[in-house]
Amino acid sequence: MHKFPLLKSAKLFLISFSFVYRSNFLALLMGVMFGFLMSHAGATTYDYHAKMFLMIDFQLMEVIATAVIVSMIGVFLLKKFHIRAISTGAEVDFVKKPYQSGLITGAFLFGIGWAMTASCPGTVPAMIGEGKVGALFVLAGLLLGTMAFGVLQTFIAHNKSISDTFK
Amino acid sequence: MEIVVWAGWLGGLAIGGFVILHFWLMGKPAGCSTGYGNVCGLLSKKLTYYRQGEYSNPNNTKLWFLIGIPLGGFLSAMSSPEPWHLTFDMGMYETILPQSEAAKALWLVFGGMLLGFGARLAGACTTGHALVGGAMMNPPSLLAGFVFFLSAMLTTQLLFNF
Repeated sequence: MHKFPLLKSAKLFLISFSFVYRSNFLALLMGVMFGFLMSHAGATTYDYHAKMFLMIDFQLMEVIATAVIVSMIGVFLLKKFHIRAISTGAEVDFVKKPYQSGLITGAFLFGIGWAMTASCPGTVPAMIGEGKVGALFVLAGLLLGTMAFGVLQTFIAHNKSISDTFK
Repeated sequence: MEIVVWAGWLGGLAIGGFVILHFWLMGKPAGCSTGYGNVCGLLSKKLTYYRQGEYSNPNNTKLWFLIGIPLGGFLSAMSSPEPWHLTFDMGMYETILPQSEAAKALWLVFGGMLLGFGARLAGACTTGHALVGGAMMNPPSLLAGFVFFLSAMLTTQLLFNF
């Protein structure tokens, strides 16, 4: 085994660590930015959701409409000039979510959950950061719901046998 | 806690910039709800669905993205005039939600389950479908975003008016 002086091995460790995890750190940074912006846009404030759906105040509508238009222009430009992504070096992949059976049912259930909790999967972690206790319960429910879907899919993939599902 | 909220157009501009930046840096669309699948994969090794395909490596960028969000919310709350504190106040929803704390918590857990299950059944959440899918003009995403909105509006109207 090679032996390096402590300082040099620490430096090498840090370099290789940050190289291996560089896209993860970028993602972490992006997450921080996302939470910060969602919070300042008002998406983590309960009342804006109620006011939007009761058609009293259109803050969130304004936010999403502006965001979609701005990013549409951005996507157009990124596509046009074949921009390469920073973390992968490959061309940006505009992979689109396909239509899947159950999309409408799922979207309908999601909407009911949205109205009941005034939050969505992206804003829940930001609400926890803001100190909203309610978001902790929504998070528990989110994980349970996601888990339930995984159990269902695993169950179907294992020929609908319960004993095989958890093997 | 009172969060400082920017004007709608400014918030939208910033989030639009975020979506573009995410494309440029990460090379793929931004998404939130898929990260919860990674958490489920880490919680249960036996659940093969969250151990294969896009979940084959649970410790990926989607998970790290999700971990970053609370920090962003915390930073945003720091700019509030009030000091940071825990709160269970839900504003307008206080009038329609159950009065006891335990019942309110159960209500939120149930709503969260609908969010989690619905997001996986539909393929993505508000971020992946309405925001990023809308920016890419993806027809299934536009349909999903429309149904999200319609069903949430219907439910809110029922909750507040009946």
